[in-house]
Amino acid sequence: MTTDHRIQTPILKVENLAISYETRKGDVQAVRDVSFEINRGEAHGIVGESGCGKSTIAFGIVNFLGRNGKIVSGSILFQGQELRGREESELRRLRGDQIAMVYQDPMSALNPSLRIGEQMNEVLIIHRGMEKADADQKCVEMLKRVYMPDPEAVMVRYPHQLSGGQQQRVVIAMALLNNPALLIMDEPTTALDVTVEAAVLDLIGDLRRDFDTAIMYISHNLGVVARVSEKVGVMYAGEMVERASTEDIYLHPLHPYTQGLMRCVPKLGLSKESSYLYPIRGRVPSPANLPPGCVYEPRCDYARDVCRRKHPELHALSPGHFVRCHLVSEIAGAEWQPPEGVLPDLTARRTEAEPILRVSDLRTYYEQPSTSALSLFGLGEKRYVKAVDDVGFELPKGCTLGVVGESGCGKSTLAKTIVGLESPTGGKIEFMGFDISVPVKKRDLELIEELQMVFQNPDSTMNPSFSVGHQIGRPLKRFKTVPRDEVRGEVIRLLDAVKLSVDYYDRLPRQLSGGEKQRVGIARAFAARPELVLCDEPVSALDVSVQAAVLNLLLEIQREQGTTMLFIAHDLSVVRFFSDYVAVMYLGQICEYGPAEAIYAPPYHPYTEALLSAVPIPDPTVEQKHIRLSGAVPSALDPPSGCRFHTRCPRKIGEICETEAPPWREAGDGHRIFCHIPLEELRQMEAVVTVEG
Amino acid sequence: MLVKDYMTRHPLMAEPTMSIVEAQRYMGENNIRHLPVVGAGKRLLGLATRQTLLVEPGKLGSLDVWEIARTLSGLALEDVMTPAEDVITTGPDITIEEAARIMVENKIGCLPVLEEGVVVGIITEIDLLALMMEIMATRVPGVRVTVRMPNVAGELAKLVSAISAHGWGILACGGAPAPKEPDKWDTVVKIRNIPQAEIVAALGQVKGQEIVDVREV
Repeated sequence: MTTDHRIQTPILKVENLAISYETRKGDVQAVRDVSFEINRGEAHGIVGESGCGKSTIAFGIVNFLGRNGKIVSGSILFQGQELRGREESELRRLRGDQIAMVYQDPMSALNPSLRIGEQMNEVLIIHRGMEKADADQKCVEMLKRVYMPDPEAVMVRYPHQLSGGQQQRVVIAMALLNNPALLIMDEPTTALDVTVEAAVLDLIGDLRRDFDTAIMYISHNLGVVARVSEKVGVMYAGEMVERASTEDIYLHPLHPYTQGLMRCVPKLGLSKESSYLYPIRGRVPSPANLPPGCVYEPRCDYARDVCRRKHPELHALSPGHFVRCHLVSEIAGAEWQPPEGVLPDLTARRTEAEPILRVSDLRTYYEQPSTSALSLFGLGEKRYVKAVDDVGFELPKGCTLGVVGESGCGKSTLAKTIVGLESPTGGKIEFMGFDISVPVKKRDLELIEELQMVFQNPDSTMNPSFSVGHQIGRPLKRFKTVPRDEVRGEVIRLLDAVKLSVDYYDRLPRQLSGGEKQRVGIARAFAARPELVLCDEPVSALDVSVQAAVLNLLLEIQREQGTTMLFIAHDLSVVRFFSDYVAVMYLGQICEYGPAEAIYAPPYHPYTEALLSAVPIPDPTVEQKHIRLSGAVPSALDPPSGCRFHTRCPRKIGEICETEAPPWREAGDGHRIFCHIPLEELRQMEAVVTVEG
Repeated sequence: MLVKDYMTRHPLMAEPTMSIVEAQRYMGENNIRHLPVVGAGKRLLGLATRQTLLVEPGKLGSLDVWEIARTLSGLALEDVMTPAEDVITTGPDITIEEAARIMVENKIGCLPVLEEGVVVGIITEIDLLALMMEIMATRVPGVRVTVRMPNVAGELAKLVSAISAHGWGILACGGAPAPKEPDKWDTVVKIRNIPQAEIVAALGQVKGQEIVDVREV
């Protein structure tokens, strides 16, 4: 049914909005000349890397800019009424009644000391003056609406007793209690696992349809935005550089930045080639120091003279498609060629080389403190969190193994046990022929030297008070890789290898961006020329354009030095293009293992199938099977009997799954699947990802 | 076909303190005729329509220009709106025809839709007319035939089986008592992609029924 007789006024109309923050160095324009509108029941995505002003727009709309932020010019019309210059009391009422926000971290939006029920019904009791009993009932209904399992029980729990996905559901339910006309979501799924993220995104779509709520969806993830929104605005350095329907943005991106973003996002398309990442050179300029012409000019492959001189305006290219670029008509027709030398050599190198790492029956248990009185005397039954349980694999020299799985699957524990930060409870780890099932303290210095690690969060793994040069030099001195007087030269060589100039030698970590810090982390890990490097989600904390550059760099160095690598990631799209082998972990066990290409095509383990179907793909032409896992990963304290995945498995075949541990099904070429379903049936599964038409 | 499916959710609403001059501008700019006035928690306080915003001359002390201007500028929505207790409202779960009956019997143009005193939407006469258009598949071209039949059970079935005997689909169908003929019933059917002549030939065969109007629309 067309709705052209309905109210035409958009729920939200932002026009030429400019927002500044006052700083000691003067005003910094965080957002400039941003315009867009959202109609009722429509979802509008805002994408861009960190520091592009996405959240500032959201804060500007609800006047939440803090003491030093102010709206400089432009207008924000909500339901046809100007929000700018409203009094605080009016705005507060409006926010409570008609605009709701959902933030990235659900835990920080919930009060940890109040039960879920108490904080939810407060909304209704305060805003609507409802009786407690009525309010409670309404809250339970809303929790059901967001597909919360067992809502009555959830009402009396505390936030920490819920999983991240459940917490976010509570926050969304709370936001919807007042039936807002506009829902602003700022990275609502970024902190969640892919499988949970997929379920939350489905939920958002359902709610939008049922409540006719307009949604402003902020995310750095193009795939996520493609899945939920009808229109997308791309932000870069405080400006909206392109705005169009989702399909236009993904199929015909016109701004060079949008095109660049598309190329550096892992895609999980059909072929391995489509998952290559092409980084964008340079970095986002700071808002205090913008280039005089086009803000993207310093990073643009097409830049001309005019781009340096004149600031481009946002102009309509076709109805509903706006681009801020001087050369757009030229770019539209041009076929983009990847510049030479951007990609490291990515030919798979599964050789018959000797395994350098051999892990067999590895178990790492954490003892759980018991609450029983008997345990005071050491008599109570000991309980263990089985973080890694019976894991075995071999990794040939010079190859890369990708390890994927949801959080809580034991990926990091596995890496920590191998590197020696945790001591194994049982099993054997053999590295270069030596048994290393002992903690790092008892290992020989030579062994430690050969085994290094790159951590997820570069901020917390670097000593903030030591210079970059000192940090990279430390392993060189400790392992005596080079004579003492050559350390400086070697550090500079390493800096050069990670594409940082000599100037960085004396800088402190706080003077570096996230991507630069991670480069230093990589340089440090590779400094002693180790044989094996363990990377624990080294790029998850980074922006997409930086992510691609860091990944490519990591691979380049690995290929140069012939290093073996174990690479942990939380979703299957990232590891695809460079892994030789992939291991999928679930609840402490490997459930599928094999050559990378085999993992992405049938036969699948049912868990791998679900993981693949959950990955958001920024390409509307790609058809993805819809499989959603219910619930969260069960506790590793008391893992399910039989096949551990049976509680969530959509393909469970019967009682056998609950009682017996599944056999390894050999699918050939080293591809193993840990499942009761016979191989012939697994082979008949359809591919999860197909291209339309 | 319930009110909740056809009402406008998140209607434009105003605070009771909005001046009537502002309210007139707001309604004019956004092309709306009904403005629910709400307090905290979107609780309905009253309803303003374009009519309530017209100030009765009797309320003015004199027709002096300054007097009018002063009176107007001092008035807010809460002074002129129909207060909530006099506003006829409905709930989201009632049928469309029931909403229509309330509006017809009270001769009003809109019904605010409330859930526990809170405005969740509004349904207006235009929404109902738009729905009528959709029921008659107005936007899709086809042949529209009005058949007059005796007002007894089984007559519509005869007509439908005549149509389905040819394998045609019915795009839209509606009926009402024939005007001024108490024992007759008029049924309108709309058929797509079939020549008018064929339809007339086929439906003319139905016994006891008469084609009173046929046209391509």
